[in-house]
Amino acid sequence: MSDKSSSRSSGFDRRAFMAGAGIALVPLTARAAVQDPTQAAAQDPALPVEVTLRVNGQDKRLRIDARTTVLDALREHMGLTGSKKGCDHGQCGACTVLIGDRRVVSCLTLALAAEGQEITTIEGLATGDRLHPMQQAFIDNDAFQCGYCTPGQIMSAVACVKEGHAGSDEDIREYMSGNICRCAAYPNIVAAVKQAAPDIMKG
Amino acid sequence: MTVAAPEPKANMGNPAPRYDAVVKVTGRATYASDMPLASPAYAFLVTSAIAKGRVESFDLADANRVRGVIDIVTHEKGPKLKELKLYSNGGYAGTTIQPLKSAEIAHDGQIIAVVIAETYEAAREAANRVTVSYTAVVPSATFDSPGTTTAAAKGQNSQFKEDPQVGNFAKAFEDAEVKLTASYDTPTQHHNPMELFSTSCAWIGDNLVIYEPSQYVYGLKNGVAEQLGIDADKVRVVNPYVGGGFGSRGSMTPRTAIIAAIARRLNRPIKLVPTRDQGFTIATYRAETRHEIKLGASRDGKLVALRHEGAEVSSRPDAYCVGGTKTTTRLYACPNVDSLVSIVRADRNTPGFMRSPPEVPYLFALESAMDELAVKLKMDPVELRRINDTTNEPIGGKPYTSRSLMACFDEAAKAFGWSQRSPEPKSMADGDWLIGYGCAATCYPTQMGPSAARVRLQRDGRTRVEIAGHEIGTGAYTIIAQTAAERLGVPLEKVAVFVGDSELPPAPVAGGSNSTASTCSAVMMVCDQIRQRLFKAMMPNQSLTDRAKETVGIGQTPATRAAKSDRSLDLEKAFDALGAGVVEEYGEWKPEDAPLDSFQAMHSGHVRLVGGHSLKDKIAYAFGAEFVEVRVNRFTHEIRAPRLVGAFAAGRIMNPRTARSQLMGGLIWGMSSALLEATEIDERTARYVNDNFADYLVPVNADVPGVEVILLSEQDDHINPAGAKGLGELANVGTNAAVCNAIYHATGQRIRKLPVRLENIEV
Ligand code: FES
Ligand code: FES
Repeated sequence: MSDKSSSRSSGFDRRAFMAGAGIALVPLTARAAVQDPTQAAAQDPALPVEVTLRVNGQDKRLRIDARTTVLDALREHMGLTGSKKGCDHGQCGACTVLIGDRRVVSCLTLALAAEGQEITTIEGLATGDRLHPMQQAFIDNDAFQCGYCTPGQIMSAVACVKEGHAGSDEDIREYMSGNICRCAAYPNIVAAVKQAAPDIMKG
Repeated sequence: MTVAAPEPKANMGNPAPRYDAVVKVTGRATYASDMPLASPAYAFLVTSAIAKGRVESFDLADANRVRGVIDIVTHEKGPKLKELKLYSNGGYAGTTIQPLKSAEIAHDGQIIAVVIAETYEAAREAANRVTVSYTAVVPSATFDSPGTTTAAAKGQNSQFKEDPQVGNFAKAFEDAEVKLTASYDTPTQHHNPMELFSTSCAWIGDNLVIYEPSQYVYGLKNGVAEQLGIDADKVRVVNPYVGGGFGSRGSMTPRTAIIAAIARRLNRPIKLVPTRDQGFTIATYRAETRHEIKLGASRDGKLVALRHEGAEVSSRPDAYCVGGTKTTTRLYACPNVDSLVSIVRADRNTPGFMRSPPEVPYLFALESAMDELAVKLKMDPVELRRINDTTNEPIGGKPYTSRSLMACFDEAAKAFGWSQRSPEPKSMADGDWLIGYGCAATCYPTQMGPSAARVRLQRDGRTRVEIAGHEIGTGAYTIIAQTAAERLGVPLEKVAVFVGDSELPPAPVAGGSNSTASTCSAVMMVCDQIRQRLFKAMMPNQSLTDRAKETVGIGQTPATRAAKSDRSLDLEKAFDALGAGVVEEYGEWKPEDAPLDSFQAMHSGHVRLVGGHSLKDKIAYAFGAEFVEVRVNRFTHEIRAPRLVGAFAAGRIMNPRTARSQLMGGLIWGMSSALLEATEIDERTARYVNDNFADYLVPVNADVPGVEVILLSEQDDHINPAGAKGLGELANVGTNAAVCNAIYHATGQRIRKLPVRLENIEV
C-alpha cells in the first residue's frame, strides 16, 4: 500500500510572520545597519541589524539577525553561555534571565525587544569571588546534579524571593515550577530558596 | 550536617560538597554547545514527516534562497560513511539505521537533510523551507499494529543469553494452593535530559575535535573514527560536563559522523543544536513493554511457582531488548521458575537504554503481582517479601554477595509509618481525598568494567587525577577526588580531577551504574602504585627477593603491603627519600571475572561490564524498599503523591550527599514514570505526538512535596576494591509498582498499565 503525498516539514512560515511583525517591531527598537531599516527588515530579516544590549551592567553593541533571541545573542554573540537552551520554546526555564527585576525566558524574547533594558544573567550574579547568597544556598543544599537547569533555576529563584513568593514551601514549589529539573533536585531547590531568602530580602 | 548532606554512618565517606559546585552555580561549567568555536557554521536538521517509505524528491529552491545558506545536504549528496554497527555486535552505535544514505525512511523523524548556514536563524528558516515529497507506506506503530513480527529474544540479540528457568513451573503452578495470573503494560518513554543532543565538530588539519554530551567518550571517538574511516587517535571527544544522560548518550547516534563529515568537506567548524522534538527521534528511548506474570504460592505465602513472560518493541533492523527476567526470576526464593522474552519489530527508531532499562518495566510487573498476591493471601505485603527473602538466587543457587532487602523494608516502613495503614482498600481518607499506602522492593545489579587512570602527586600534596569518566550529574568529579585524597592522605582541596575527554586514560561507559565502582577502583589502585613507590623509597634495605617480586609484579613485599594498608605517609620525607618532586603513575584495573580481552577492548571503546547475575560463583545487587502515599480525589480523580520514602543499601557510600541526591532524583523519576510519563504514538502514522516539554509530562517542583531518602550502612568485600554498588539506577525502579499498589489501597482499583492518570480512575 502506498500513497503519494507532498508536504512541507512545517506549516508555520516564519519569514512571512517575521515580515509582518518586523514592520511594527524593528523601527521602534533598533537602528538597522542598512540605509532604510523599515524596508530592509521587512524584505529580508536575515540582514543584520545593530542592537546594543546592556548585560550585567555592560553595554555591548551587536550586529545580528533581527530574529535573534536574547538567549542566542548571549550564547552565540556575546560568549555568555551560562544561560542554557533546553527547549527554545519557553517550556523549560533553562534560559531564564532577569530583565529589570522580571524573570523572563530569554529564548522567547527577541534581542531587539530587550534593547535599553537591564539584563542580568547567571554570570552577573556574584560579586567578584563572592557568590550571591542564592548561589551559595544551591551549593549548601546540593540543589543540582548535572547543573544544566541550574543557571535558570538560580535566576528564577532570585526573582521568586524578590517577588515575595518564598514565604512558604508551597509558595516556593509553586513559583519555582516554571523551571524543569530533569535530575529532579526539587526538594533541595526548595531548601536552597528558603536558606537564601532572608539574606536577599535584607538586601 | 543538613538534610542534603547526611551524617555518614559506618562505611560511608564524607558528604563533601560537589567538586564542580562553584562552576555550576556561576554558569562557568562548559557543556558541549558552550564550547567556543572559530567562526562556526550552524546546522539545522530536517527530519522525516513519515515513518515508512521513501523520499521521492526535494524542492530546495526556496530554502537555498535564504540569505546565509551555505549548503543543504540530502541523501543525494550525503557523506560517504562506513556502515553503522551496533555496540552489541562489536560496533559502537545504538542503531543501524543510517540517515542520508538512501531515500529510504525507516522511522518517524529520521534525519533526511542537514541545512548549513552562516547563522542559526538562517539555518532554521531554510530548514523550514525545504519541501519534501514522499511516497509513504502504511507503517506498523507498536504492539497489535498490523505488520509487526514477533520472535523470541534468545538467538537474535547477542546480549540476551538465556530465558532463566528452574524446576517444573507448569506442574508447581497447577498444584499451587493460591494462584495469580496478571498482565502489565509499560509505555514508551523518552529520557529528555535537559541538555539537547548537540554536536559541534571542528577539524584541525586531519584531527577532529567533537564537543558532544556523551556518556562514553571512548565509544564515541572510536565509533566516529570507524564511520569516517580514519585513525581513532585523530579523533578527540571533549565534554567536561554533561547536562544529564539517563542512558540517552551511552551509544553513538548517527548524527555525529554526519556533522563531522560535513565539517570536513566545508573546512569549517559546524555547530548543531537539534530541537527538543528532534531529540525524540534522533536518539533512543525506552520502548513499550508487555508482561504476563504467573505466581503460585502456598497458603502461608511461600512462592512455589513463578513465570514471567515479557514482550518488547524494537525497530525493524535491530533486535534491541532489555530482558529484565534475568532479575525478576532471581529476586525471591522460588523452586519452579519459567520465563520468556520476545521482541516485536515495528517501524520505529531503535530503542535503547533508559535509566534502569530492564528493571523499570520488569519489576513494575513483578512487584505489582507480589502486591496482588499479598491481597489474595490476606497478608501484609512487607511480610510476603520477608517470607520469600533469600540469600541465594533460585536459578543457579549462587549466593548474593550481600542483600539488605528486608533491613531496607524495615527502616523505610518505620520512617513512613506503615504500621498506621489499615489494610482494607478505601479505608483511609482525608476529606475528599482517598489515601493509599503502597510499597515495593527495588534492586539493581552491581556492575563493574575495566578502567584506567593516571595520578600525579607532588611533594606539596597537590594531586592531579586523569580518567575519561563522565560527569553527568552523578558526582563523578567529587567521588574521584575524594578517593584520591583519601588514599594519598592529601586534603581534598589539593586534588584536581579531569574527566570527559577521550585523550585521558579510558574509563567505561557511564551506564549500568558501573562508574563509581569502576573508576574509583582504578583510582585506588593507581594511588596505591604511587604509595608503593614512596614506601619503597623509605625502605632502602629491601631484599633482593622483594625487589625481584616488585619488578615482576607478583607476591607481597613490605612496600606493597604498606601501600595497600591504611598506613599514612609523610609525603615530604618520602619524596626526599625518592629524590623526586613529582610521582606519576598510570594503571589499568579490571574486575574479577572480566573477559581476557578487557584491556584491549577498553582502549578501542568497547564495554566489557561484568556483575549482577553474570558473575561466576556469586550474584551482586544493590537493594532498597520504597513506600509511597498517594491521594486520589474522590470527585475529580486527581492523583497526588505527597510522600515518597525509600531506604537503600549499596555497599560503601562514597559520598552521602551525592548519593542521597541521586536516590532522591530516582524516587521522583519513579513517581513520574508511574503517574506522568508516556510518549504517545499515533498508531496510524507511527509518529510521536507529544514530543515537547509541554506535552511530554515530567514533574515540576509543585509535583514533589515530600521525599525522604534513608541510606543504610552495608559492607560488601566481594564486589570490587571500592566496595561500592552503583545506585544511580536503584531508586526509580520499585516506585512504579509502589505507586500503583498505593492507588489500589486508596481506591480498590488495580491498575496494570502505566502511567496512571486521572482518566484511568473509576472510583
Ligand atoms: S530554553 Fe527557554 S524555556 Fe526552555
Ligand atoms: S540539575 Fe540536571 S536538570 Fe537540573
